Amino acid sequence: MNFELIILLLMLASFAISVFVLKMPAGVSLILAAVVGGLVDGHGIPVRQLVEGGFGFMEAIMIIATAMIFMKIMESSGVLALISLGIIKTFHKKPSLLIIVIVLFVMFPGMLTGLSSTCVLTTGVLVAPVLLAIGIPRLAAGSLIAMAAVFGEVAPPISIPVMIIGGGVDMPYIGFTIPLLLVSLPAALFTAIYFRIRFVKKINLDLVLEKLNLIENDQRGFKLYIPLIFVIGYMISEIVFHEYFLHLGVPLIFTIGSVLGIIISPKTKIIKVSRKALRMALPVIVILVGVGMFLQILTLTGVRGYLAISALQLPDAVKYMAAAVMPFMGSAYASASVIGVPLVYVFIGKSAVVVTASLVMMAALGDLMPPPSLLCAYAAQTVGVKNHFKILKQSIIPIIFSMFVAIIVLIFAEDISRFFF
Amino acid sequence: MKKHHISAIVISLITILAGIIASFEFHKLHVSESLYPSERLSSEGMLSDYFSGIKDTNGDTKVYFFDSGKPGATVFLAGGTHPNEPAGYLASVIILENLIPEKGRVIVIPRLNNSAFTCTDPMEAFPQSFHIDTDKGPRKFRFGSRATNPLDQWPDPLVYSHKPSGQQYSGLESRNLNRAYPGSPKGTFTEKVAYAIMQMIEKEEVDISYDLHEAAPEIPIINAIVYHEKSEDIAMYSILELEMEGLQFTPELSPKNFHGLSHREWGDYTKTYPFLMETSSPVQGRLRGKTNEELILNGVSENYKIAKETGALRIAYRDEGEQLEHRVGRHLSGFMAIINSYNEIHIDNTVKISGLPAYQELVENGIGKYLNN
Repeated sequence: MNFELIILLLMLASFAISVFVLKMPAGVSLILAAVVGGLVDGHGIPVRQLVEGGFGFMEAIMIIATAMIFMKIMESSGVLALISLGIIKTFHKKPSLLIIVIVLFVMFPGMLTGLSSTCVLTTGVLVAPVLLAIGIPRLAAGSLIAMAAVFGEVAPPISIPVMIIGGGVDMPYIGFTIPLLLVSLPAALFTAIYFRIRFVKKINLDLVLEKLNLIENDQRGFKLYIPLIFVIGYMISEIVFHEYFLHLGVPLIFTIGSVLGIIISPKTKIIKVSRKALRMALPVIVILVGVGMFLQILTLTGVRGYLAISALQLPDAVKYMAAAVMPFMGSAYASASVIGVPLVYVFIGKSAVVVTASLVMMAALGDLMPPPSLLCAYAAQTVGVKNHFKILKQSIIPIIFSMFVAIIVLIFAEDISRFFF
Repeated sequence: MKKHHISAIVISLITILAGIIASFEFHKLHVSESLYPSERLSSEGMLSDYFSGIKDTNGDTKVYFFDSGKPGATVFLAGGTHPNEPAGYLASVIILENLIPEKGRVIVIPRLNNSAFTCTDPMEAFPQSFHIDTDKGPRKFRFGSRATNPLDQWPDPLVYSHKPSGQQYSGLESRNLNRAYPGSPKGTFTEKVAYAIMQMIEKEEVDISYDLHEAAPEIPIINAIVYHEKSEDIAMYSILELEMEGLQFTPELSPKNFHGLSHREWGDYTKTYPFLMETSSPVQGRLRGKTNEELILNGVSENYKIAKETGALRIAYRDEGEQLEHRVGRHLSGFMAIINSYNEIHIDNTVKISGLPAYQELVENGIGKYLNN
């Protein structure tokens, strides 16, 4: 047996033992697996390599941390609740449109942060009562929120799994907007319509508003929206009007947005909100540090090259089966780094950008899957369901459709690329 | 004390310890190795002499002048644009340590992006240095990053918009010196370094400029001379000359709409004839096996041999490996061939140099024989 394969198997085994037997978090388990890889290949504990790898996603980590604080401040300021109210008042006469807008609203924080759990824990929390009030059962409401979170993680402008794969194959984060919309939007629309047809009939606005008990008139008015407008506006302006806007960087933009939020809503308990936000972000941050170390050791030991070269030699039919395994890693980021990177090489000859977009859709579904089932667990808490696996079961049809879209895009990646670019 | 508090303390202590150990390793990267110019060195300067905005920063770097004392053309040679491409750096070091100018002048900057020598790239697992055997023992050379150290320029934008063209690249490229030309005195750290280089080329009235690189074997532009359209005649003549030596080089015309690169902007903004040379380096490739010093030096990669055989990719890899001597030798031969071709076309303003090993000599004797220490 090839020595690189032995190293890989030992790293995966130590990861599995750490997660399932020692009950360690996924991020810590990735770090332990990286240490095992270094030891097996004769490097001892390669401290410099591990630390260097741990900094691989420093930028993403800072974005996640600052974005989570920002979204929590927005939540506590009441602006997200006002948006929920606005959505239901505007669209209650057209239930299909209402569900579509809700799905897009839940996706929004994920689109900005690249982090699916932000969606469930911020906008997801806000729309959950709306969904229940318009007659969607708890399990289905949880499933809708969890699925929307997956699509939010995939959709542009920021998709961390794409950046993870891009980091592994030297591919710049450019030209992904259309391919990512192509895999995420049809699946998001299908999910919205699927739940609309199954559960939503006519909406009685008065009854819904009574159930929701939202404060309709906030004295602060338009001011409440300023931080949100600033963050979205500056991010776009920095790219589109780069000559006129000082480059601040995404973490600083979110931080300024947070400061604006505190100024506008001085009652916000910043320490409490920040601690809550970071506590939510921490598991993902540790995973990113672990993924960085894991990838560094895969590269050091030659396992990355072994995976890439093995993937190059696979027969065509097996290549698509290998891609379909992606969701079963239980984490979008782990799936993107461990399987996503070599799979881009497998499909060399097709457009790497479109291939990556389709792989990322499949990888993102991993956030729903056990063992961690992170999104299902968060969604279950949000809608008040004890067994989060029932939310996963409720999501099977949208998951199958999302996989179908991703595989179709993967098969026709080159044709799609030629059509759009 | 609760169990999770104990875990937190243990993990924190391990993290602090790892940080301390790693900080010593990273600190070593900020200590530059000594270079030993040939006896014919005329003078030394600093890049900040041309733009004071980079003085006392990691962007400042030594500029070496070899003046024959006889009027003639001026040649500028840059190594270390990307310090993770060792053949480009070592070729410039060999020229620095062996050059004899006989007519005209030669300006050498071996560490063009000095900041990028002070870090390596996360998740690439590169060694921080490599060693060349010499008569007096092994000599250490720094292996760095493709991009400016984030300690000198951070954070990266989501999208990097090149000035003044507006061409967009991924955010990481904002720290790539070879996407920053012509640079700007008020721009980012990297753009300021690029600006200083442009000032130097202009003020020194450089006639021929070289930027030495390497690339992964699966990259399409490999074993190539990339030239600006105004350098076409020189490039074609030199490729013919190299072919007669048995060295195959592909001519690659610099795309007019690919902005920020030396072969484009040096030519567009100054009177110089720019050339960029690439060799094939498996240590940079995504298909490489173990990442270590041996791969830098020997360039032997079973993975690339297999990849070439599958036919799935266009791979520029020799079955016996892409040894550093071979890669540096190609750069030196390319350097000489371009000078010879320039001289044939510009007979009233020539440059003449000697002292450099030929390709075959370098391959047979090894690099160490041509290093002064």
